Amino acid sequence: MLQSTLLRISVTLSAAVWLSATASGQTPPAAPDLSARLSHAAARITAINHEAERITDYNALRNLQQQWGYYVDKALWNEVTDLFADEGTLELGYNGVYAGKDAIRKYLYSLSGGKPGLMKGQLNNHFQFSPVITLSADGRTAQARWRAMIQDGIFGAGSGGNWGAGTYENQYVKQNGVWKIKTLHYYVKFYAPYEGGWTQATAEGAHAYGKSPVKPTRPGSVDYPAYPAAYAVPAHYDNPARSAYRLLPASAVTPTPAAKPSVSDLEAQVRALELKLERLKSFDEIENLENTYGYYADKSMQDAISALFAENSTLEILGRGVFLGRDRAYEYMRRLGAPTYGTLFNHMQLQPVVDVSPDGNTVKVRARLLVMYGLLDRSAQWGDGIYENVFVRENGQWKYQMLNAYQTFYTNYDGGWAKHSAGMLSPFPGYPPDLPQSIAYEVYPAQFIPPFHYPHPVTGK
Amino acid sequence: MGVDPVSQPYLPRLLALVLCVSPLSGALAGDPVVTDSRIITEERRLAILETKLASLQQQVRLLEDTKAIERLQQAYGHYVSAGLAQQAADLFADDPGASIEYAQQGVYVGRTRIAQFLSREGARLAPGEIRETPIMQGVVHVAADGLSAKGRWRSLVMGGVHGQDGRWTEGPYENEYVKEDGVWRIRKLHWYTTVTGSYDKGWHKQAYPANSVLADLPPDRPPSQVYKSWPDFFLPPYHYTNPITGKPVNWDY
Repeated sequence: MLQSTLLRISVTLSAAVWLSATASGQTPPAAPDLSARLSHAAARITAINHEAERITDYNALRNLQQQWGYYVDKALWNEVTDLFADEGTLELGYNGVYAGKDAIRKYLYSLSGGKPGLMKGQLNNHFQFSPVITLSADGRTAQARWRAMIQDGIFGAGSGGNWGAGTYENQYVKQNGVWKIKTLHYYVKFYAPYEGGWTQATAEGAHAYGKSPVKPTRPGSVDYPAYPAAYAVPAHYDNPARSAYRLLPASAVTPTPAAKPSVSDLEAQVRALELKLERLKSFDEIENLENTYGYYADKSMQDAISALFAENSTLEILGRGVFLGRDRAYEYMRRLGAPTYGTLFNHMQLQPVVDVSPDGNTVKVRARLLVMYGLLDRSAQWGDGIYENVFVRENGQWKYQMLNAYQTFYTNYDGGWAKHSAGMLSPFPGYPPDLPQSIAYEVYPAQFIPPFHYPHPVTGK
Repeated sequence: MGVDPVSQPYLPRLLALVLCVSPLSGALAGDPVVTDSRIITEERRLAILETKLASLQQQVRLLEDTKAIERLQQAYGHYVSAGLAQQAADLFADDPGASIEYAQQGVYVGRTRIAQFLSREGARLAPGEIRETPIMQGVVHVAADGLSAKGRWRSLVMGGVHGQDGRWTEGPYENEYVKEDGVWRIRKLHWYTTVTGSYDKGWHKQAYPANSVLADLPPDRPPSQVYKSWPDFFLPPYHYTNPITGKPVNWDY
């Protein structure tokens, strides 16, 4: 505050000096010489690059935790384990701390019958959302709070699946330019059978989450009660509106007089920086676009939705087949009809893993769809799916090039996913798609892993 | 500077121009910019570069703003879930016009009143009460001057009291943010409830109306929009136009 006031005063003063100099016919003070300006520009480039790096870190950390969720969904335990640093630890609920990758892998295997991959009829959905990410001053470590909502169970077994909810307080470390999980700690709020839900939750239920015969490396780090007892998971951060933390610290531009950059060098650096920032901007723009789609879908805003598609885009939702081009996307959406009194068509969009291509011209997103469907007095459903979408620029605007939605399940509210799973949504009667379904798969309780557009963020495989 | 370009030999300038536009220029490795240093002087190139840097500096700060707003909004959800009403209220701006509005409960203005509402209703956790409030699906727009912003989000709340029937509540937020003394704070939080339904029976069989005005803590202003939750149909207005057409999106069927 004081600094900016001082700056304003000095700007005003120098402007006054300049004006009076001009008015009296004197030559204005000479501009800084070229070489001083060059080294100042070079220092600014360094400073902005540093800031862009911190934004990049934020996005990478966001992707990392959400990728964790997608791997956990499918019990891809080797991929999950590889997200950890060698010295990493894992603590899920009340099961103690597993330290090091071997212990983590062994523990995770035990959660799906001794090997990676979901067991027959197993569902293990772990929604990841609500990040509060804090990057350290040196950019080498980070902390984040996240939230999980869990849908799991074995089809046809027990009371029919479980709902779970809780909070992560995690630590991350950047090693050789790659972010890894250092400590992952999930605090269980509740873990309760679908029948009865969370208001019937018990402490025993909470303790059953992630329970394993594999002995932990050490006991749990925190002793805390599960719901219905009151407990607030400690936050790693101070109140964001009242704390001094900033993702980008006040920039300190300190020219190094020794450096003698040429204009051409700096121009090349600025071009690289422009692309870097453009890609970071695209990351946010695409997320807005993806989420805007969801809000339109809620309300069957067909015109507004189809405008989001590129002229030659493709649309493929569940088993409806492939629709080619924006006009067909529009026709598709028109099939869904308009919501009226007594219909509910919520399309919640969450957990976007966003990857912008190196040239900045294409963006790929994996995201999750949670549908809350309702028909008054008649039926309600939960629907669950995975998107793998591609975005391109058309006339300078980001649009959907491909929308692919893979169906995990649609279940009647009354029974839940472990008791009922509707078949694949098939082509509209009397309204065939332009191409048949592009990847053949079966919905839950069968197992299918929608292909990932990204390599593993740590191993690169 | 100080050189009359007209008095210079014509041919080299023409060559430079041809190089510049010819498809060959794209094949030149490294620096694709072919300049005539007598016209585009080093000084001029540096001036252009400095202008670009000012713009890039502003752009990177706007990116930071988006992240700061996410952090702020998500902290709200965590505080509310944990019943930390005062912490949630402290996320709001010092601006005396800061406000909160839930469902049909009216508008509470100023941080003191916001704290009262939150400790009575929005973030109250009675014994055995639960209010898991994940926040997701942000559509955030920061003003070009980096001093204000708007965001749409949504929550799917797992609520209720232990031993009783639970409740699902879902609905979007349309919020506003302001940067005060360099810190992002919530200027206005408006949570619309689309649907509230019984856990045991399902929303299709037992839906509850949007919460109404608290008799023992009346709001400062009546609800800014009067609507009914599901099974009625209501479209909470978007703060943004369609990103492609630039036109407002309304229900017009």
